[in-house]
Amino acid sequence: MRRTDPSALLALAALSAVVLVCSTPLLWMAVASFRPQNFGGLDMAALWPDFMPTLANFAEALDSANFPLLYLNTVIVCAGTLGVQLVTVTLAGYAFARLRFPGKELVFYAFLLQLMLVPPILIVPNLVTISRLGLYDNLIGVMAPYFASAFGVFLMRQTFRTIPKDFEEAAIVDGANWWQLVWRVLIPLARPGMIAFGIVSVVSHWNEFLWPLMVISSPDNQTLTIGLASFTRGAESASQWGVIAAGTFLVAAPLLLAFALFQRQFVNSFLFSGVK
Amino acid sequence: MVAEAEGHAVATDTRRSVRAVSARGRAEALRAAMLLVPSLVFLAAFTYWPIGQVLVQSFTIETFGSKDVTFGSGNFERLLADASFARALVNNIVYALGTIVPSVVIALALAVGLQDATRFNAALRTVVFFPVLLPLVAAAALFMFVFLPGIGLLDYYLGKLGADNTNWLGDPDLALWSLIAITVWKNAGYYMLFFLAGLQSIPLDLYEAARIEGAGPWVRFRRITLPLLGPTTAFVLVIALVNVITQVDHVVVLTEGGPSDATNLLLFYIYQQAHENYDYGKAAAATVLSVAGLLALSFLSLRTLERGIHYEA
Amino acid sequence: MSRLASAALAAALTFSLGSGAALAATEIEMFFPVPVEGKLAKEMKNLVDRFNAEHPDIKATAVYTGSYDETNIKTRAAIKAGRPPAAVIMSANFVLEYQINDEIQPLDPLVEADGQTPDAYMSQFWPALHGNARFAEKIWAVPFHNSTPLLYYNADHFREVGLDPANPPATWAEWVDAAKKLTVRDGDSIKRYGLMIPGNYDYLGWIMTALTMSNGGLYYNPAFGGEVYYDTPSMLGALTLVDDLVRKHKVMPSGVTDGKAVSTGFFAGQASMVLLSTGSLSFIRENMKSDYGVAFVPRNLRNAVAIGGASLIMPKGLSPERQKASWTLIKWLTAPGVSGEWSRFTGYFAPNKGAYDLPEMKTFIAKNPDAKVAIDQLQYAQSWFATYNTVAVRKALEDEVQAVLSGKKLPAEALKAAQTKADEVMRPYVEQTALRLPQ
Repeated sequence: MRRTDPSALLALAALSAVVLVCSTPLLWMAVASFRPQNFGGLDMAALWPDFMPTLANFAEALDSANFPLLYLNTVIVCAGTLGVQLVTVTLAGYAFARLRFPGKELVFYAFLLQLMLVPPILIVPNLVTISRLGLYDNLIGVMAPYFASAFGVFLMRQTFRTIPKDFEEAAIVDGANWWQLVWRVLIPLARPGMIAFGIVSVVSHWNEFLWPLMVISSPDNQTLTIGLASFTRGAESASQWGVIAAGTFLVAAPLLLAFALFQRQFVNSFLFSGVK
Repeated sequence: MVAEAEGHAVATDTRRSVRAVSARGRAEALRAAMLLVPSLVFLAAFTYWPIGQVLVQSFTIETFGSKDVTFGSGNFERLLADASFARALVNNIVYALGTIVPSVVIALALAVGLQDATRFNAALRTVVFFPVLLPLVAAAALFMFVFLPGIGLLDYYLGKLGADNTNWLGDPDLALWSLIAITVWKNAGYYMLFFLAGLQSIPLDLYEAARIEGAGPWVRFRRITLPLLGPTTAFVLVIALVNVITQVDHVVVLTEGGPSDATNLLLFYIYQQAHENYDYGKAAAATVLSVAGLLALSFLSLRTLERGIHYEA
Repeated sequence: MSRLASAALAAALTFSLGSGAALAATEIEMFFPVPVEGKLAKEMKNLVDRFNAEHPDIKATAVYTGSYDETNIKTRAAIKAGRPPAAVIMSANFVLEYQINDEIQPLDPLVEADGQTPDAYMSQFWPALHGNARFAEKIWAVPFHNSTPLLYYNADHFREVGLDPANPPATWAEWVDAAKKLTVRDGDSIKRYGLMIPGNYDYLGWIMTALTMSNGGLYYNPAFGGEVYYDTPSMLGALTLVDDLVRKHKVMPSGVTDGKAVSTGFFAGQASMVLLSTGSLSFIRENMKSDYGVAFVPRNLRNAVAIGGASLIMPKGLSPERQKASWTLIKWLTAPGVSGEWSRFTGYFAPNKGAYDLPEMKTFIAKNPDAKVAIDQLQYAQSWFATYNTVAVRKALEDEVQAVLSGKKLPAEALKAAQTKADEVMRPYVEQTALRLPQ
């Protein structure tokens, strides 16, 4: 049983403060999405709901873009990308973590290069490549540049490295071949890392804007962020904060739900409770 | 004769085992190659091919009005003479220090504080992670509102405490710090995720043993958690460093590098050169320098951090 | 199979495929940005659906492509990837650059194929719009929707301080005077600003153009994309006015105020007067709770503003069928009827003069007199600043103006620095054109 020491209480207080600050903008957004459009107020920022909540903002947001189709396209892109990524990064991560071969460090940094390349420079060359492959205006064209993920390889390498070799040695002693070793021993033990990577990948591709904008031309292939942008931005105009907030929730809600479910999964991982 | 036969057998055995070792080495290298090929195929098409083009472009000097090109270091010279580039570089260094340190520290604190599997913690973790889930298009609009002078979220509540209207994004002295605040807000939850994953691999019996010996929470943190989180910390620092250079969406949407280049960052500078000035040569030169710098920094940090790290043997 | 038979088969196949292709609709896509809030993307889709219904041999798709800047990036990228769109709605001041880079199609051949002369074709559009559409002796773009800056003011505030809402300020002197009366102070801090102007990139340059032109200036050389007039008395006067408004009269906030913040400030009653685009008119009309009015941009030496907005351009590299289909779409979108409809929906004014002769428009204007102000100001409007490397040249000025707004520089030195920087940016172009002399 834990004793409650004062330092624990202090830590709790500090944590709560951080969480509060973190969440204020989001609380405001939640309130704003239900607030009837009113620009007459200098108290637009009020967090305390002092009005009759309305669904008008959500209605307008839903009306401004074909959300069901956008959801579908975005799910396809995220699932497709993650599916291929899990294969490429697990294989490559294992290679860097456990195998020895000449030029290993050099190749690893060659991988890291992908992280450091910046999108503005990549747009034209990659669009030309996609186009030559016949993937222009195609969801696969949106996914293709990400099938290899230096980030994933980096994460998996480090995850595999922290798994004690005893597990592997025990398995070898039991007569497992290389493939069984990876599939039955390493991958289950690497679950927290893989789930973390999954979360990162899905979130980043769910919210990606510029590259899908460049590749996709048919409205039928557009993703959520493009739909959201179509009614929340304007160069020469005023802003409807309520509709922007409502639209944003529509885009972020599935992610939020998924995260709430998944994070308990990997935090609860039994992993190394010292039991072999 | 038996001894000779034995000696011969031993010699053959040694040769055989040496051959076996190098055969194993070759097999391992071959296996590694096979495992890396899927990634390398995509990297070749979408990373190395563009990098090659960028390299060539950075040394290509175009003249207006003709298709003639010459090769030389002219783009690099013009780049280094550009005041905006110098400003972007300085800004990026300030930005790096201002975002990496707080976000990593806060992320670690949150991960350690919220690692127990209680419902309350799960809820808090979700709240803290929410900023990461927001698409940038929306986060930008949100922060535009947060930072509105006078009626925005920040000024509204500060005003209740008696403070004056502040132009958070429009004052050249404040703008960069406002962006730093946004970045820390957005990334703390993101890095927390990796620390949480890393914490999972620390055996609980180590903590039990320490507790039995009477070590308090702070000592347990310093002696057990921190060292064993070494690889994770190295990873987070490299990612944070890379993000500092490659994440500029908020600049694009909120300030466009202004006011007067106060929030110009390296990547935004490259974006401007490529897409607003159509100066592909300079953009390519700046990219080459940024990538080289990043590679060097990553190499240094990984080398230093991973050398002193204790991997569970 | 005998040679004759296989030749016959081949011919038959080609023939059937060929006639099949002729029956299928020509597919074209049009990139468009959404520059103002509202359900513009949806409305554009409705318009294009109507077009398709009226033209069964064409299948047009309207593709939302982000902001003006993103649309620009995507269009260039698509052209480089060999997939040029059939038409693009492009910010009017970017057209020059596409022409300089030889990326768009001159429209004269298509106009003449219809049996019209280019002069006659252009005459249906307001004269102020010609500069950005027709230059270097060819028509490069067709105006789609346009705007000018307007002075919006809060009529309730006016009445509060004894000003007459029916007589808004028309000169700089009246303007400053009104702003001083409208500003509400509380000790050292300001509770309500008399005036706010947008200070973010692109908007700021546009407003500065209006102020400089109102001060008699030209701002740039419309006949040659290598000259701008930053370090001139007319602009110095305009910039000093701006500086004074912040520092001397203390009626405007210091630093950069984003366009969104300006309009939000206007709605919230935090600013009594604002300089914003006509593009905001519909939105303000629908959502402003207080009584408001619109007026010309006040003059110092003359009434003059620059237009803004977007035009339709046709990239090069299209097949003849797609060119014809694209031209049909362009003509349909810029005809009086559709032009007027889009104008009423968005708040931009219709570039096609004929739109204002139609009964729907006349009724609309009778009901909404504020829509007429932008039209009336058109007689004083000039083309939008466009040069070689427009964005960089504009940013050279805006960075300096922002420094002045933040109190970091004085107007005179700011303009000298802006001129030097701009000249530096345009030097490659100038060296190959005006300064290229026979050897």
